[in-house]
Amino acid sequence: MSATISHSFWNNVSYNARRYPLGVAGGIIMIVFVLAAIFASAVAPLDPFNTNAKASLAAPGPVYLMGADMMGRDVFSRLIHGARVSLAVALGATIIGSGIGCAVGLACGYIGGWFDLLVQRVTEVMQALPLLVMALVITASLGPSLRNTIVAIAIPLIPTVARVIRSNVLSLREMPYVEAAKATGMSEWRIAIIHVLPNTLAPLIVLATAQLGSTILTEASLSFLGLGVPEPYPSWGRMLSESAAEYVRTAPWLVIYPGLAISLVVFGSNLLGDALRDALDPRQRD
Amino acid sequence: MSRLLRRLAIAGVCALSLWTGAAQAQKQGGVLRITHRDNPPSASIHEEATISTDMPFMGVFNNLVVFAPDAKQNRLEAVVPELATSWAYSDGDRTLTFKLRDGVKWHDGKPFTAEDVKCTWDVVSGKVDGKMRKNPRKTWWFDIKDIVVDNPLQVTFHLYDPQPSFLVMLSGGFSPVYPCHVPAPQMRTHPIGTGPFKFVEFKQNESIRLERNKDYWKPGQPYLDGIEYSIIANRSTAVLALESGKFDMNITGELTPELVKDVQKEVPGMQCLVQPSNTQGNLLINRDRPPFDDAKIRRALVLSIDRKAFSDILSRGIYNIGGAMLAPPEGLWGWSKEFMATVPGYGADVEKSREEGRKIMASLGYSAEKPLQLKVSTRNIPDYRDAAVLLIDHLKNVYIQGELEPLDSAVWYARLLKKDYAVGMNVQGTGIDDPDVMFFENYTCGSERNYTAYCNKDLEVLFHKQSQMKDFEARKQIVWQIDKTLQEDGARPIVYQAQGGTCWWPHVKGLHLAVNSIYNHWRLDDAWLER
Amino acid sequence: MLTYLIRRLLLMIVTLFGVSVAIFLLLRIVPGNIADILFDSAGMIDPSEKQKIIADLGLDLPLPLQYWSWLNGVLHGELGFSYVSEKPVIDEILPRIPITARLAGLALVFAICAGVPLGVISAVKQNTKLDYALRVLSLSGLSMPSFWLGLLILMACVRWFGTIPIYDRAPASIWAWIAMLAIPAASVGFRSSALIMRLTRSSMLEILRQDFVRTAKSKGLSDNAVTYDHALRNALLPVITTIGVETAFLMGGLIVTETVFNIPGVARFLVEAIRWRDYPMVQNLVMFIAIVVVTVNLIVDLLYMLVDPRIRYSE
Repeated sequence: MSATISHSFWNNVSYNARRYPLGVAGGIIMIVFVLAAIFASAVAPLDPFNTNAKASLAAPGPVYLMGADMMGRDVFSRLIHGARVSLAVALGATIIGSGIGCAVGLACGYIGGWFDLLVQRVTEVMQALPLLVMALVITASLGPSLRNTIVAIAIPLIPTVARVIRSNVLSLREMPYVEAAKATGMSEWRIAIIHVLPNTLAPLIVLATAQLGSTILTEASLSFLGLGVPEPYPSWGRMLSESAAEYVRTAPWLVIYPGLAISLVVFGSNLLGDALRDALDPRQRD
Repeated sequence: MSRLLRRLAIAGVCALSLWTGAAQAQKQGGVLRITHRDNPPSASIHEEATISTDMPFMGVFNNLVVFAPDAKQNRLEAVVPELATSWAYSDGDRTLTFKLRDGVKWHDGKPFTAEDVKCTWDVVSGKVDGKMRKNPRKTWWFDIKDIVVDNPLQVTFHLYDPQPSFLVMLSGGFSPVYPCHVPAPQMRTHPIGTGPFKFVEFKQNESIRLERNKDYWKPGQPYLDGIEYSIIANRSTAVLALESGKFDMNITGELTPELVKDVQKEVPGMQCLVQPSNTQGNLLINRDRPPFDDAKIRRALVLSIDRKAFSDILSRGIYNIGGAMLAPPEGLWGWSKEFMATVPGYGADVEKSREEGRKIMASLGYSAEKPLQLKVSTRNIPDYRDAAVLLIDHLKNVYIQGELEPLDSAVWYARLLKKDYAVGMNVQGTGIDDPDVMFFENYTCGSERNYTAYCNKDLEVLFHKQSQMKDFEARKQIVWQIDKTLQEDGARPIVYQAQGGTCWWPHVKGLHLAVNSIYNHWRLDDAWLER
Repeated sequence: MLTYLIRRLLLMIVTLFGVSVAIFLLLRIVPGNIADILFDSAGMIDPSEKQKIIADLGLDLPLPLQYWSWLNGVLHGELGFSYVSEKPVIDEILPRIPITARLAGLALVFAICAGVPLGVISAVKQNTKLDYALRVLSLSGLSMPSFWLGLLILMACVRWFGTIPIYDRAPASIWAWIAMLAIPAASVGFRSSALIMRLTRSSMLEILRQDFVRTAKSKGLSDNAVTYDHALRNALLPVITTIGVETAFLMGGLIVTETVFNIPGVARFLVEAIRWRDYPMVQNLVMFIAIVVVTVNLIVDLLYMLVDPRIRYSE
């Protein structure tokens, strides 16, 4: 029995992989990124924090694969450790944002009435403020740190998620099997948890993957503006920030590689997100 | 060797500019365009302590006395009259009388009189509430007993004690004469002076414009039609803008030695000077907050610092190493090499110092596995951040695990004043290379800018003693001792003395740069453009 | 239609009201009193000045009253004073709006000019190598941080021309003006163009699949005539959608782009104001941005109705 399940699972995977080659490419990029983040200390050839006067602004070469920054720190090792920061922010913000957004969306769809109306208005208020502007004001109030960056990016995500979940719940409630469950006398909450929640999972995954990219971009922008994750943690956006911009001509590797890392990971998450959407939730195709 | 070469190059540039200045006749006209680094907090020089305000607005004002433009080193002997025509000491050097220039007018047409002088120093010395929001250099003027207007063209300063440095402080760019009749809020937004240039407009984060004062009291001057500062925060953009010819020079002392090299490679004719900016990187340790109330931990912290590594990384070895006072030959009061070697932590063998630091930490129960965790606070701009990152790396050597806490400028100063930090990496400039300025501003008990609240009454007696001394050499010996004690006590350990580069196109003439301060030569009334 | 419009306008006012409450509260739950921060950060010494700040900001009043006095000021165009420049906030914000507006406009023009044709081509050549290449291009447009793109362009300029476009308040000619803003506009508009391209492609594909196109083709109309006629008619929707979706994002892009290219617009100004904790300024700037976003969204919805009569607002 279990053999057939796993067999059909792999069939399914290979079918989808053939159908969405770009999605597979995105998946591979993301896996590499996640592995780099998890095993950063083992993978990075050098200590990302170690300063070295002799290697200041060293050009890419055999020791410093992607060159060294002004402090003589290895750019390649910093990029690998930087994946940690990006991953922490992306996962943290997406999980918190989606989690709360999901709860709010479910509640809206179920409680309805004044609660729904209130949340709707709050959602509209939050959507009137651009993600980066919100995040800027929040980090400025809380002070720059990893935790605050995650919070600042998570909060603006909530309404987007809540809105999608809500509309999903509303349509699910009309479904025959939910009606049937109701007829058997199941409580509303049990229906919500057993029948409705699992069915919102697909759109939630699609949405969360799509948001991964924008959280990484927002973190990079915040750090670039000096309000994100502070030194000496190697955040990609920070590496690109002012001090790197100072070496546009003398040390271009300080500008090229961190930007490449950001773009590649966001690109990967976009590819993956597109494929997942096509596979799991065809209704949302644009 | 490279230091020697650099000094020779400086001398060469200076000689060249002197020679060309003498050989050519000044030309009238043109607007001098200068890149600026950030938004000045206000236009009022007396209320600010940054080159961002000092340089652009110095041309609006005059002082009583100034450092002679062609004197390369700011010192007492170089002081010459400006709004004063002469001065005289009496009463055992406790009374200083200035005769004032006649017929000088403020930019709004009102006449300049002795009242304005009295007004200005009554306010900055804190005797009269001038409604200024801040008064960063109040401690400079501790020696003023009172100021008497003898007649509209003569004013007398009565001092508590003789103070040779008093004239030096009056000569700095931070000591302009303000008009009595203009309220402080206006001076912050639309300053009125007697200087060669009138204020036109100050657009936040964008530009500052000055225009020629046609009624300037120096006949025929200034030569420039105006000066325009454009604020370009990104250094590399500013450099490219300078190279493209859109600008004639950059704000003084802002280019790193690395960038200066780059500029001169791209534009071979570009004139550049890398000089001490009278700015120092120093370590702030909050001696009231455990565990730093323990002198041993403070000492271990200081022992971890490799000053040479700071200089090498931040400036390719160009930054000076020294104590509170600027190192010679540019500085007048800094330690000699021989004397410096006797100061703890300044020895050549860093590893030995660090070993000692580790021993101290180990005796307090710390180790590589169980390091002391702390936050290193700093201002969130590159100069500060870079230094703090290096500091954190060095602290690792004595079992201290630092985490950076970057703070926006506004928050940073707020925290300093509230002493709300554990360890801070600070970069601080002083307007004039002078012991009175340095000690009274930063190290006296209760001074506003004494961020670490260091207080040593015995040392303060010495502050006053050296302040009254006329004999330069004898005074210098005491200054060296004071400086040594400050470092031994870890009052505010000096990590490096910064240098900064100024570049200008060869068609800019009549610039004067002193080797021991960047703050004092921006009147620009004899600058001109050869185009 | 009219009732819908009135309903939307009312909702818009409710939203803006909510925004004002949110931003007001957000800036007041900040740890520490604003007056303290202002007072200390400026290194002020005179306690009477602190009292003045408190009085100026109305911090001695109860919260609802403070809020009301600010709202009342906003409604009358009196936004208070900046604490950094000591000038009226309105005088600081107003002159910067056109700079950002021009940049945003130019970015949009760029996005449309690049996005629509590429989207059409991509749809017509569906599943060819060209289509794949264009899709990857558009996805990379959505993946690159605009400040990095800006830096790359700057680096290219330095390499090839030895210099970079530098912002000038009074450019010599209209061409100088365009040259100066073109590069920042392109770097911030690239993302929007990628989005327009995607949407154009998918809406084109849908239309190409529809019966009347097949009919037109079978009637013997040439391929191109059918395709491009419909393409142009249907390109409008993705463009409008993009504007709706992207206004908020564009604002973020403008903040970093204005920083990279040293353009003294209103977006970068927000960052500066935040850095200096210039709360009267931050409060009003955020409000201004919200007004722009909400207004653009309203206009987009109305345009939808005009362009696509299928969409009805009977709800």
